[in-house]
Amino acid sequence: MSLLAPLFLLGALSIALPIWLHRLKTQSSTRQPFSSAMLLETTEEQVHVQRQLKYYLLLAFRIAVLLLLAFAFAKPFIERPPTNVAATPGAGTTLVVLDASASMGRSGVFEQAVDLAETALDDAPSGALLQVLVADSRVRELRPASADVATHTNALANLAPGAGRMDFGQVMAAAEGVAERLPAPVRLHFISDYQASAMPAQFADVIPANVATLVPGIAGTGMPVNWAIGQLRETADGVEVSVVNTGLPERVADVELRVNAELVGVRTVGGQGQYSVQFDSIDFQPGDNRVEVRLDTDDDLAVDNDAFLVVRNDPPLPVPIVTRNSQALSVTYLSAALEAMPTAGFTAQPLVPGDFDPRVLGRSSWIVVDDLGSLDASTAEEIADYAASGGRVLAFLGDASTGIDRLPVSDRALTPADLGSGVEAFRRIGSVDDQHPALRNTEGWHRVRVSRSIGVDLDGDPAVLMRLDSGAPLLIEERIGDGRLLLLLSAIDNQWSDLPVHPVFVSFVIEAADYLSGRIDAFGSYTAGELLSLTAAGAGQVVDPDGENLLSLAATRDARTIRLEKAGIYAVYTAEGESLIAANVDPRESDLATIGPEVIERWRDATFTSSSESDVVAETEGDPLELWPWLLLLLAIVVIAESALGNVHIATRMRAA
Amino acid sequence: MSLGAEREGARRLLQPAVLAGLKNLDLVARSVVEGTLIGLHRSPTFGFSQEFAEYRAYNEGDDPRFIDWNVYARTGRTYIKRFLGETNSHLMILLDASASMGFGGPPVSKLRYAQFLAASLAFLAARQHDAVGCMVFDETIRDFRPPSSRAGKLQGVMHSIDDATPGAGTSFNRPFEKFREQMSRRGLVAVISDFYCDAEKLLEGVRPLAWQGQDVVLFQILDAQELEPTFRENVLLEDVETGEAVEVAPSFMAEEYPRRIREHVKAIATAASGTGADHVLLNTGDSLDRALRNYLLFRQRRQ
Repeated sequence: MSLLAPLFLLGALSIALPIWLHRLKTQSSTRQPFSSAMLLETTEEQVHVQRQLKYYLLLAFRIAVLLLLAFAFAKPFIERPPTNVAATPGAGTTLVVLDASASMGRSGVFEQAVDLAETALDDAPSGALLQVLVADSRVRELRPASADVATHTNALANLAPGAGRMDFGQVMAAAEGVAERLPAPVRLHFISDYQASAMPAQFADVIPANVATLVPGIAGTGMPVNWAIGQLRETADGVEVSVVNTGLPERVADVELRVNAELVGVRTVGGQGQYSVQFDSIDFQPGDNRVEVRLDTDDDLAVDNDAFLVVRNDPPLPVPIVTRNSQALSVTYLSAALEAMPTAGFTAQPLVPGDFDPRVLGRSSWIVVDDLGSLDASTAEEIADYAASGGRVLAFLGDASTGIDRLPVSDRALTPADLGSGVEAFRRIGSVDDQHPALRNTEGWHRVRVSRSIGVDLDGDPAVLMRLDSGAPLLIEERIGDGRLLLLLSAIDNQWSDLPVHPVFVSFVIEAADYLSGRIDAFGSYTAGELLSLTAAGAGQVVDPDGENLLSLAATRDARTIRLEKAGIYAVYTAEGESLIAANVDPRESDLATIGPEVIERWRDATFTSSSESDVVAETEGDPLELWPWLLLLLAIVVIAESALGNVHIATRMRAA
Repeated sequence: MSLGAEREGARRLLQPAVLAGLKNLDLVARSVVEGTLIGLHRSPTFGFSQEFAEYRAYNEGDDPRFIDWNVYARTGRTYIKRFLGETNSHLMILLDASASMGFGGPPVSKLRYAQFLAASLAFLAARQHDAVGCMVFDETIRDFRPPSSRAGKLQGVMHSIDDATPGAGTSFNRPFEKFREQMSRRGLVAVISDFYCDAEKLLEGVRPLAWQGQDVVLFQILDAQELEPTFRENVLLEDVETGEAVEVAPSFMAEEYPRRIREHVKAIATAASGTGADHVLLNTGDSLDRALRNYLLFRQRRQ
């Protein structure tokens, strides 16, 4: 027997309470009327005189109630022995993969797909093992493999298409893995609408190994009429909606915009192609705003007619810029970059040594130091403590850093300046780690010219995110305690480099701000079926668009990610309060163009098996038997017994009184 | 039946447990009084007989029923015929019917015992041709019957006593003050209560009665559980009047509490003697003849 939430067993400690109560024998136990209390006096020995347990059976019931409650919350279960699902040797396996992605939500298509799946199961050779996989953004077993057709068809009857996106390469890889542990030969029935957008870049990725034959099942035919919202994004004073019509040109659609459930505007679009609809001058409320766009039209696929966006209308957060001179060029450039994009949500707050207050650090998740070498000892120590406790620092070097041996805060040794001054001596940037979140959406680094930089000792293997064409590091990232330091080994004035005057500087600062402030991890844009990192979001609970809690009590503690299955706006509850997240249907699901029959033919022909027939007896894990319903039943019985016995004691006392 | 057997039967009849079985308070009173008198040695000092004592001239205000018309026929003068034991006194019974008096038993609560006592006193007094009245009180006067020697009035007094039920808290000052306003004639006043009050406060209530010329006797009724409580475990005792709850240990109730109750009774007795009043402590387990004897002795002293 195992426990799903063993920490709840700590609740068993609560049995100390009834034991203590039964030992103490409370005042109310023998309450009796008396003519006058004027001559009475409370005696101190009350807690000493009754040191023996009373009412053993009642106590036992009460302890049993608490233990059962704690045990039920711990969710015990028994692993059932693996079910031997061996079918007739040699009959092989019929593996049905059913596409349940958003595009399958077209009228009648999914029902047709289910019929095809049932037909495939019915037509399976006698004694063959049956297995159904359901695929959207993930692939899951519908039921454990078995030879029983009814088990699978009953489960199929309750299926509905989701809002996620399916990728053929991913599905075939999963099918390949499942087929590996099933009795050969495996006949794969892949039932889908065969969207062209689901094809991976390489055709080889859709060819599964361990599969003897591929039987395509095509659900939905013809060119459907579809309107879709391609993109919904925030603009300076409103939102912009991109609408795509892949259907008939004479069709029109109304684009309705709702902000916080109130209809803000309606635009009518018509004709085939892509349209951009602008909604301006929207008065957003402070905090998170729910923006919902709906296409009011009669098309074949409804799931992509809604799009969601969360507009955060928070006042910009001040970001401390620790500097020696608040009028320095570096501060000017940083301030301009931070405030260049209002939606970034940050504003510069220069702090010179005289104004520096360590408490300011505690109010900001990240700070900027324009010249790390300019910090005095006490300020450097404060910033090092701040970083060690989880703070994040974006730092640059400068003139003050040239005369020191070791960097403050990181205590990293410096090497002599890599470059001297002089226009002819500049270097260009050689490599950029564009997978790093702080550099992901930045372009144009090759235009930057660096005249001076300072070399550092790379002990401890800090991540080098950018190098000069000489190979010298220019941007490094290192961990300091629980925090991190993103350090550019040059200055941001126009003497050391021309970085500040290039557009890439603005995008770099904004991306770095998002990265260091942690916003990029948690509250970016999501597509339905994507995983939300609970640790990055600091989420305690997530409520889906229908108002259902997605996390059980145990999961709020243990789960690290959660899948956003539905399209809509999710509420994420964190220690700081509620935040909203929008999840939309992947736009590729709206493109209902299918792959050609010749491609399907080639796919089928390319599928072969490399595994010989075998008499593998497949075993599937049995469903765990959860014990908590039985525990609750037992708990109810014990509670009734405890109540009855307690009532007997009360009645006895009343008679005695 | 021999005199010894008759006394033994009477003594048994005086036990509260036996009286508790009698529904009729008149019958209780009669039983108590008769039983008590049977137990007494015949003595002129107790004089309850109707034996002739003397004649005296009729004065205005005397009851004309007692004029000896034979003497008037012979002498032409009106004389009143007086008997032994006959006085012109009156008895006022002040019965405490506060909530605390409801405590006690079985077989009888303090209030029931007090009702037996009050009824017996009333019957005894009426038998002596004393005017009898009663006042039932707790914090206020709940019933008041002015003294009267008329036969029919005794039934009213009995009813008043019998109807008393445990009420609210106890206060002596306000009821006694009103009593003084109602009663200007001096006489005997029997206060029946458990006297759970400060002795000084009781003194404040009783002293004006003494100054008024009333002869006061305090019958303090306590239950055996109050005098010698027997608890084997911790109990939470709740004051029936105030609701105050106090948890006490058996050791306290066995040692300290009896000492305190003795001191309290002594304080009440001292306060009573300080005003010239008598104090009689009665346990609800005691037979009632002791109470009546005390009353008669007291009455005798006041003659």
